[in-house]
Amino acid sequence: MSSSPRLFSYESETVSTIALYGSAPTRVPAVNESGLDGRVRRADRSLAVVTENLSVVYGGFTAVDRVSIQVERGSICGLLGPNGAGKTSMIRALTTIVPAAEGTATIVGHPLTDPVAVRSNIGVLPESNGYPGAQTALTYLRFYGQLYGMDVADAEGRALDLLQQFGLSNVPSRISTFSRGMRQRLGLARALIHDPAVLFLDEPTLGLDPAGKEEIMVELARLAVERGTTIFLCTHLLDEVERICDQVAIMNRGRVVAEGTVDEIINSSGADSFARIRVRPEAIPLADEVLRGTEAARAISFDNSRPGDLIVTIDSDHGSAATTLRALLDAGVEPQAFDFRGARLSDAFMAITSGRTDDIKEGVGS
Amino acid sequence: MTAAVPTGSTSRGFAGQTRPVARWTVIARQELMDLWAGGKGLSILFGFTLVLSILAYLASADAGINLLDARESVGLVVTTSIALGTLGAMVVSADAISGERERDTLEALLVTPVPRRHIVVGKLLAATTVWVATLVVALPFAAVMAGGPGVMGDAVTVLLVSGSLSAAALTSLGLAISSVAMSNRTSLVVSLAVLLALAAPSQLPAVRSSTTLGPILIKLNPLSASLRLADNVLVRQEPWSDQMVYLISPALAAVVFTVAAVRLARRLELGGSR
Repeated sequence: MSSSPRLFSYESETVSTIALYGSAPTRVPAVNESGLDGRVRRADRSLAVVTENLSVVYGGFTAVDRVSIQVERGSICGLLGPNGAGKTSMIRALTTIVPAAEGTATIVGHPLTDPVAVRSNIGVLPESNGYPGAQTALTYLRFYGQLYGMDVADAEGRALDLLQQFGLSNVPSRISTFSRGMRQRLGLARALIHDPAVLFLDEPTLGLDPAGKEEIMVELARLAVERGTTIFLCTHLLDEVERICDQVAIMNRGRVVAEGTVDEIINSSGADSFARIRVRPEAIPLADEVLRGTEAARAISFDNSRPGDLIVTIDSDHGSAATTLRALLDAGVEPQAFDFRGARLSDAFMAITSGRTDDIKEGVGS
Repeated sequence: MTAAVPTGSTSRGFAGQTRPVARWTVIARQELMDLWAGGKGLSILFGFTLVLSILAYLASADAGINLLDARESVGLVVTTSIALGTLGAMVVSADAISGERERDTLEALLVTPVPRRHIVVGKLLAATTVWVATLVVALPFAAVMAGGPGVMGDAVTVLLVSGSLSAAALTSLGLAISSVAMSNRTSLVVSLAVLLALAAPSQLPAVRSSTTLGPILIKLNPLSASLRLADNVLVRQEPWSDQMVYLISPALAAVVFTVAAVRLARRLELGGSR
């Protein structure tokens, strides 16, 4: 689980805090807003998903290459990676859609060689999930409920509950009239129809507006906390992962190249932290001199679009953002604004999957 | 709010229910709803009824000037019904799996604990209802054209036995093709090509007139055998006892193609996408 927030601001008495760099996402603890503060976990820490040297091969192409991961019950695991990294193939192998060419895997103790047992315990929302446009949401969910062994009455009751839970209870029209967001919510409801132990979601927020994404994320967090559902989340939206995932696995070219908590991933990636400091224009030379004299500042650049702003790359081995701030204050330079942005998962992701850490550093100051 | 899980379930709702149970009835029921309430089946039936109405009108007009007698008219209705009913059922079955694959609805079905063969059997049964509906529509036309119980009795028997065997065979074949075809278009084109290839021999003058190769080809081919049987019984008034040979290939094909469709179900896949 992600621990301390990686964003804080300092505000002088005279000037309000400046915005964070460019379009970088602001880290908002959504779980707090939804009353899930604390993320109280169940005592059950047994493993829900275990893979050992799992490989998926299409023809001669190895899509998943000897992947070994472990996901605890009730946790949310983010599976990240660039396009073609093997994420969808990994999910399809774990959901028994494609066979594993090599290795083993178990889902809540059931090996993939027992596909009926595995399928009974998983819910899946595929990346490209189609819907029978002529059916209503209730018919659709009732049908899937029956496929999981419920009788018609149970399936209908469960379907109605889920429709209400996902805000679709007053939509009697055919699925063909549904918006993208409604379809995604319906897909999630379908994946949950049998209250699965493990939920596999491949880009569940694809095409949703911010409010729709927020709804889905809150719902997933709630499922993990209240139902103990293990969630395997495959997405490109790293801020979502950073917010709700307990565990992250980053895939690249079929292999897991990093695994751990969000903090562990960031720390191990070597991604840099940055501070943006605004001083009065006439104080820039002194501020520059002072900062260059501190070991904590690895590099300093100027934001030409905002005169007075200095962007400092923090060398975490030799100091912190606080060190630079203290040095400035000791030298009589009073910052008008000070924003610190710790390394984010997106920085770590880029560093890990591309290895171009320098590009990231340069890009921030431009 | 988390939805309540129905009582009587296992520790995680229904997740603990790992024993494969018969779900083909659920699949078949839903397929039937989609087919008939969705309008696809009715469209096929409407087209068939239209063709049969035109044929019946033309046959009646010809009969009025003694160009076609009652038996020939009934024969025309029955053979047309077998050909078109089989075509309709085959089109529906050819779309059954590859259509789901193309509409991205197959993956959600494949991750349920429903055995693959149950999916195929449910879809097969639903597609077969197109033939049953065709039969129901064809019977009144045949009755009107027959003008007597003797011819009508033969017509009903031919449709029920010979027609149903052909329809079962080709519906299963369409489903088998649909299971392995990577696209819906491929499945439909291949299925129609097979149907045409099967129907063509019985219509070729050289084959019809040949005394050696012609009869063998017709008997080997389930569809042409059915059509020939209908023609022999209804138009030529040949005795049933001599026609049993024309039931062999439809019956064999029905068994072989149905088994093939069910066996191919084990290898039911999403397709080549990653």
